[in-house]
Amino acid sequence: MAANLTHFEIFGLEPVFELDRSALAVRYRALQREFHPDKYASKSEREQLLAVQMAAQINEAHTVLREPVQRAAYLLELAGVEVPPEQTTDDAQFLMQQMRLRERLEEVREQPDPAAALEVLADEARGLYREEQARFAEVFAADNLAEAKDSLLTLQFLVKLQAQVEIQEADLFDDD
Amino acid sequence: MALLQISEPGQSPEPHQRKYAVGIDLGTTNSLVATVRDGSAEAIAVEGDSVILSSAVHYGKDTVTVGAEARARAVQDPYNTILSIKRLMGRGVDDIRRFGDQLPYHFAGSDGGMPAIETAAGPVNPVQVSAEILKTLARRGREALCGGEGGGLDGAVITVPAYFDDAQRQATKDAAKLAGLKVLRLLNEPTAAAVAYGLDQGEEGVIAVYDLGGGTFDISILRLSRGVFEVLSTGGDTALGGDDFDRCIATWLAAQAGLGADLDAATQRRLLGCACHAKESLTSNEQVALRYGDWQGVLDQVTLAELLDPLIDKTLRACKRALRDANIGVDAVQEVVLVGGSTRTLRVRERVAQYFDRPPHAALDPDQVVAIGAALQADVLVGNKSSEALLLLDVIPLSLGIETMGGLTEKLITRNTTIPVSKAQEFTTFKDGQTAMAIHVVQGEREWVSHCRSLARFELRGIPPMVAGAAHIRVTFQVDADGLLSVTAVEKSSGVSADITVKPSYGLEDKVIARMLQESYTHAAEDIALRALREAQVEAERTLESLLAALRENGAQLLEERELNQLERAMEALRLAHNGADATEIRRRMETLNTLSEPFAARRMDASIKRAMQGHRLDEFDQ
Repeated sequence: MAANLTHFEIFGLEPVFELDRSALAVRYRALQREFHPDKYASKSEREQLLAVQMAAQINEAHTVLREPVQRAAYLLELAGVEVPPEQTTDDAQFLMQQMRLRERLEEVREQPDPAAALEVLADEARGLYREEQARFAEVFAADNLAEAKDSLLTLQFLVKLQAQVEIQEADLFDDD
Repeated sequence: MALLQISEPGQSPEPHQRKYAVGIDLGTTNSLVATVRDGSAEAIAVEGDSVILSSAVHYGKDTVTVGAEARARAVQDPYNTILSIKRLMGRGVDDIRRFGDQLPYHFAGSDGGMPAIETAAGPVNPVQVSAEILKTLARRGREALCGGEGGGLDGAVITVPAYFDDAQRQATKDAAKLAGLKVLRLLNEPTAAAVAYGLDQGEEGVIAVYDLGGGTFDISILRLSRGVFEVLSTGGDTALGGDDFDRCIATWLAAQAGLGADLDAATQRRLLGCACHAKESLTSNEQVALRYGDWQGVLDQVTLAELLDPLIDKTLRACKRALRDANIGVDAVQEVVLVGGSTRTLRVRERVAQYFDRPPHAALDPDQVVAIGAALQADVLVGNKSSEALLLLDVIPLSLGIETMGGLTEKLITRNTTIPVSKAQEFTTFKDGQTAMAIHVVQGEREWVSHCRSLARFELRGIPPMVAGAAHIRVTFQVDADGLLSVTAVEKSSGVSADITVKPSYGLEDKVIARMLQESYTHAAEDIALRALREAQVEAERTLESLLAALRENGAQLLEERELNQLERAMEALRLAHNGADATEIRRRMETLNTLSEPFAARRMDASIKRAMQGHRLDEFDQ
């Protein structure tokens, strides 16, 4: 199988953070056209099973490369840098900012217009997320792995924050 | 040359012989079957000239009736007439209790956590009821395709709401199995609708499919690009649909007519019938005059809008979530497609057009569009059509996770991940000498296990005894292209693969299905034997055919003379068994052949991968 190929190799792409998204999309569709289980519907059961595994591997590679945080973590992993899931950054300034953002999220419900307050917060989180991606690309390209690791931790926090905003939003509308 | 000798003895069908495949829309209120003939897909007449089969099953003492005739008995015989069974598919007894007051049935105990409904013909579970509907559809499909000839269907694509969870999908597949159908694929209804539209119109870009049926709501956001349908996100509500519109109107009616709240089953049914009629009438009239007993009154569009808006709001909030999951704004949506009978309601069209800021597509009959899309996909999967034309990349609608300490959920596969997908997770023991471990798989978005749906409990046994924390048990969760989950586990340090006992929380175990299948052959033992033989023969034909095609393609390159001869002998043995009358012998030969051809399958896959990785520059993929 293709177990020994990296996600980048599967897509024929260079292992960099800023990648050509349309090349990724084009290559992804081409690979699925080849390996999706639907293409194996009339093949033997064994080949169908192999196709499911291959298609799953392609999907996994695609998901990792498409999502900035996962892509960043994967690049560091390839570079031999391990990032334990529970580790936090010790950048004091960023820790302060984290705390303030979290507090605001918790206080959204007490605002006169919670939906609007949440929207503002969501916008801000998105902006920070974009800026941090640019920083990761820069330091990783410069081979500054220590700072890249710090940047990844920041990215992880920002993604989590955005997810929490979404949960709040759903709760606000009282949906399941 | 050795290869040429393999080809003939006539028992296996010609490789390019046309196959019989159908697409089935198994709906809450109505069901349809469609097929591709002379290059175009069309629904097949199932009741007289009508292509719509009412999803109603009536159980008499000795007879089962399906369709309009069954529905007509709902008022006089509510307890034996099963309607909207789709709502109960894959549900547990507790779920049923929650909408219990809306269901006029008598529930008997349960079948593996699944509710059973007491009828004149004895207790029946939702899988069995659905199987009756599927059997009727399959029979009509067979008659239309093969005439009265003996041949059967080669396969069916059956549609499910995109938002169906694993238990609901599994229940649907079980029902098909019980009806004797080979399921080529479970296809999400909105994706099927997009296929029906996309192929007809050659669209490119982002499409939103708004699918409001009798009992379920789905929203899917898809990107269409050169015949590839990529589902970006999906969302919805498995218990929201036209039935709720009816109930809403019926409640209003009951209040207007001064009826109490405590109504018997027959009155409820009458009120619902009246409400449904009013709703349908309002799709083409400004208002409708109503009469119930001594009471008479009028329902107009404004009042209807007031009644339905809270329900429609719910659907639009799901649209918003789906767009956010897809990471696109509402203005990026180029086309909106309406599916499902409930989108005939004018207020729905109005609100959807408003939200997406563009008139929705409704050119195809909203009742037929799903079945037609399924038929097109079935035609491709069964091999009648070059598969270059169409590829569907669908997603898993709800996150899959496991229970961790303290009743919390840990997500392993998040919603809207493209399928197939597999994820591995490592577990360890927390006691010295521990040899077994229980894993609880749940589906849903919430943090607490109790707020998610319980899918299955797995027990890993046979872990070699070690000190606490020393075992590394790697559990792999795989979701296939039907959206169905399977689990395997292996202890890494010893290489022992742990036995897994799957106990579906609300499903049927394979052996229960086998038992029900047997019971459903109403006649003598020979009938069962005959069917088992026929099934084994069909499978043998399929096995031989696919292997033959593979050998022709690259057997000479990938196999050595000796391996080739071995395979040929095993194929010949299977062919001989196929011509005999012993199902067990056929299965035994088939197993031998399958094991023998495994390395060939692996080499073929490796060759495909090599081909895909080498020699292609990116610009070539753009063709």
